[in-house]
Amino acid sequence: MRTALAMEWEKLRPVHKTSRTIALAIALAVSVSALVALAVASSASHMSAHDRLTFDSVGISLEGVNAAVLAVAAFGILSITREYATGMMAVTFLAQPGRLRVLGAKLLTHAGVAGLAGAGACVAAFAVGQTLLSTGGLATGWSAPQLPAALGGGVVYLILVCVWGIALGALVRTSASAIILSAFLLVVAPILVQILPAGVVQQASRWLPSQIGVQAMSAHHDPHAFAPWTGLAVLAGYAAITLIAGGFRMVRREP
Amino acid sequence: MIEVRGLTKRYSGRTVVDDLSFEVKPGVVTGFLGPNGSGKTTTARMILGLTRSDAGVARINGRRYHDLPRPLCELGALIDSGGVNPSRTAVEHLRWLAAANDIPRSRADEVLAMVGLDSVAGRKVGGFSLGMRQRLGIAAALIGDPPVLILDEPINGLDPEGIRWIRGFMQGLAADGRTVLVASHLMSEMALTASALIVIGAGRLIAAESMTDFVERAVSSVRVRSPQLDALEATIAVEGVSLWRDGDALEVVGLSIEQIGSMASRIGATLFELSPQRASLEDAFMQLTCHTAEFAARRQAS
Repeated sequence: MRTALAMEWEKLRPVHKTSRTIALAIALAVSVSALVALAVASSASHMSAHDRLTFDSVGISLEGVNAAVLAVAAFGILSITREYATGMMAVTFLAQPGRLRVLGAKLLTHAGVAGLAGAGACVAAFAVGQTLLSTGGLATGWSAPQLPAALGGGVVYLILVCVWGIALGALVRTSASAIILSAFLLVVAPILVQILPAGVVQQASRWLPSQIGVQAMSAHHDPHAFAPWTGLAVLAGYAAITLIAGGFRMVRREP
Repeated sequence: MIEVRGLTKRYSGRTVVDDLSFEVKPGVVTGFLGPNGSGKTTTARMILGLTRSDAGVARINGRRYHDLPRPLCELGALIDSGGVNPSRTAVEHLRWLAAANDIPRSRADEVLAMVGLDSVAGRKVGGFSLGMRQRLGIAAALIGDPPVLILDEPINGLDPEGIRWIRGFMQGLAADGRTVLVASHLMSEMALTASALIVIGAGRLIAAESMTDFVERAVSSVRVRSPQLDALEATIAVEGVSLWRDGDALEVVGLSIEQIGSMASRIGATLFELSPQRASLEDAFMQLTCHTAEFAARRQAS
């Protein structure tokens, strides 16, 4: 396992895509959070006292992390599909014939990078979001009691999305199909769910990865949704099921 | 030493490799010959554990590929897909391979120098020509200084200078006492490089022997030129001898030059030429594989 990790780390290290992914995730998180915070702050004068009391300052500041999620999913997916596309996977298996060990090493190294990117994205988004919200008097600051859980939830959310992306890459193998599938589940599915009858929407949408992410990073909890850590456990379940199927396919099929 | 025992592979009912057994010994370049689609690449991939065999086993120095603790240090392989991410530089590609098997990083620069790519070590592989990629693939095969090498179509994409280089390079590796198996469909190239042969056709073993033994199995003819060719032809045309005209010469199969010379002197014919025609590797290959090719064609037609 040590050499498999060394191999995957050496693959990650020089490729500028790694640092580009981190930069992109942070940039997306920061810019979307900034837009949302700016919009909210500009309408702060119209807010009622009750609205101000229940205002989720933490959640709004971290809104942008949901935009970083596609970059992180793609990072996970491409770590597998690019190797299949270039034929590099065969060379990888020549160097490390234990295919599940290769998958494990990819998971650990990429989850580590995703964790760093996630921490950077969450902290930066919160910092920028709070600065802008303070113009409307809506900032809660770094001492907010819900902040550690929300930041932790955000990082875990992004790590799970990366793991799930790797699993999806191993299962689907081609970059285009895997990215389209992940975009469908992360972006299109939440829109499609809105078509469902009102009573079902809330029941259905709590199972969506995006909804799980929103809940994990918010200070106020929607009673219809899963509690933050329950939701993350559901997402971990999705990742685990995809991972089992992807690992099975990786072992059975020829690279 | 590579040992293949009863290796079999079927793809959706079609047998691509059929109960194949052979050994590849160290010290010589062994050519792995067969027409396109005869199962060479599938066999190589089964030896390397990339393709699962339906039956049989392949061992490298007594162990299956999966059981080698540091496989790159036991066996180096060049497989035709190339397998390089184009956005990586040559040296980066070799460094991750080195890391995968606990090989010192400095080895990456060493093998690049061995294949003549040291000047482009820092360039992205995406900009490499086919020949340069092929050299990089050979560098990757050598990263662990392995005693056994499997090279699938190593000549593909190389320019004449590169072909000369790899010919000498493979012979040098064998002279070091390494086991070198080279899969190719280029007969003339193998005739120059290999001294042992494994020949397959339609997934079955046709021959596993030295190059000289293999070529000698092919039918050789004797070329006869004489001003009294018609008379000579009448004398030679006996049972069991086949002969045909080739311009002003007669090609005879089934008689030695001594026998033909005696016959000529008996009828008082003058001989301008009496020369044994050695079959080439290509002739031998065509003669020995044509019936398997016909068999395959007939089976497909039916």
